[in-house]
Amino acid sequence: MNKAFEKIALIEGMIAAALVSEEGKLAGWCANSAISPDNLCFIAETCRGILSANRAEQRPAHTGVVAFGNRTLVFREGGPGLFIAYLDSPTNDAVLKWLFDQVNPLLEAEGVKLE
Amino acid sequence: MLHQALILTSNREYAQAMRQGLLKLGHERTRVDVELDAVRAMQLAPQQYELILLDTVLDTMDGLQLLQLIKHQAPASKFILVSDSADETSRAVAYQNGADFFLERPRTPKAFALALEAIRGLFKPAAGGEPPQDDADAPVVNIADIVQMRCLSGDSVLLLARSQYQSGEIFIFRGEIFHAQYPGKSGEAAFRDMLLWNGGFVRIKAAKLTNIPPRTIETPYRELLETVQKPGAGRPDIGQTGGELYVVSGEPAPDTAASVAVREAPPREDAAPAFFPDPRALAGGETLLPRLNSHWKVSLSGDLMEGSQVAEPDRCAFITSFIYRKLADVAVALEVDYFNHMTLLGPHLQQVLVADNMGVRHAVFDTAWTTEELRVQYVKWCCEQSF
Repeated sequence: MNKAFEKIALIEGMIAAALVSEEGKLAGWCANSAISPDNLCFIAETCRGILSANRAEQRPAHTGVVAFGNRTLVFREGGPGLFIAYLDSPTNDAVLKWLFDQVNPLLEAEGVKLE
Repeated sequence: MLHQALILTSNREYAQAMRQGLLKLGHERTRVDVELDAVRAMQLAPQQYELILLDTVLDTMDGLQLLQLIKHQAPASKFILVSDSADETSRAVAYQNGADFFLERPRTPKAFALALEAIRGLFKPAAGGEPPQDDADAPVVNIADIVQMRCLSGDSVLLLARSQYQSGEIFIFRGEIFHAQYPGKSGEAAFRDMLLWNGGFVRIKAAKLTNIPPRTIETPYRELLETVQKPGAGRPDIGQTGGELYVVSGEPAPDTAASVAVREAPPREDAAPAFFPDPRALAGGETLLPRLNSHWKVSLSGDLMEGSQVAEPDRCAFITSFIYRKLADVAVALEVDYFNHMTLLGPHLQQVLVADNMGVRHAVFDTAWTTEELRVQYVKWCCEQSF
């Protein structure tokens, strides 16, 4: 998993990324910023809580995109856990596709299929 | 032994390679952070790092000038300037500005090995008996005792606290706790957390207060310290040493989402993101509300203010308020201002939340009938309504 995240760290605009398992364990992470793994874990769990609350409201969602000024937090829930990416840019659908077109093969090479 | 280091560079490949090397210099709990953004680096607490490697040329700032600024805040840290070329002028200025070492950026495995060996040498105790730079020699003390003593004395001091796993700073100014921070949290919540680190017993170093950060703690120190008590004691007795500290039952939890939302991540009026439509440019109010299933607005206190096609108003207000509070927690963890807008994509429904200084608007769209243009149109419409 470290190999995948070493490459994810090199994606343009990537500040930090992590994959957190359903049990809340950090399966892999990288950060181009001083964000601690504990914080990444906490953020992933918080995002999971948002998705879970929406499921309970009969509005299931698999992907979330949150804009914090010019930075964006993207999270996506899949079978093996929840993937988060913190980007140093605004995001639209095209950027989202561009991101997961790069991330998915890297994770799949490690046996992790998000979708 | 290296405990915590920071690499400040614009070069990702070098950062990854150097990070791996530095981790090998330390132990299993050694933490090496990488920061690509010089502006963000200036918001970090450099005192927590024993070693800071920074480039002479950064994307948005001159590394040599930044060195001078950070060195002032963290005089005990070791600084290594990394340059793409070993020109003598940069080298001279680096040492003049307080660098401990000047390094030409390593590009080959052999160069990396030599660089790491040089860095290892920086952390070897000097032959003359110079004390080690880490704070392993600092005694383990009760953090509440030290804070109380410093406040009672009316001191202005920076306390560097290190537990087994974390480190943070407490700024005391003229006998009051002014600000506290550790990676990922700041303010009163951070201070309360720090009181509980290792049961309240940590290593503390006092440093001269060279800069006064924005005040994040308004509560008087006595009140803050009274919220912790030892088992079996009716009131906290911070004059004693020993025993664990607990939050008094009945007091609000230190880091509840609501408290964090109010204190830690207030919406900033001047935080107009580029991608987010600029309300001033939309003053005409020409955007139409796009076709959607339902939409509503809740106030910052979680009350439903208005809505359309809202079947269960209470539940709608609850879920929006819940997401709002959760995102406040995330904003604190990321050390950013409050969120501007959020999109949730689902198989059947898509949702858009837009925050302003008065509350949060929430819209639900049918996935089958929704395009990105419609979601953006809703965000624009919200901006105009806010304006």
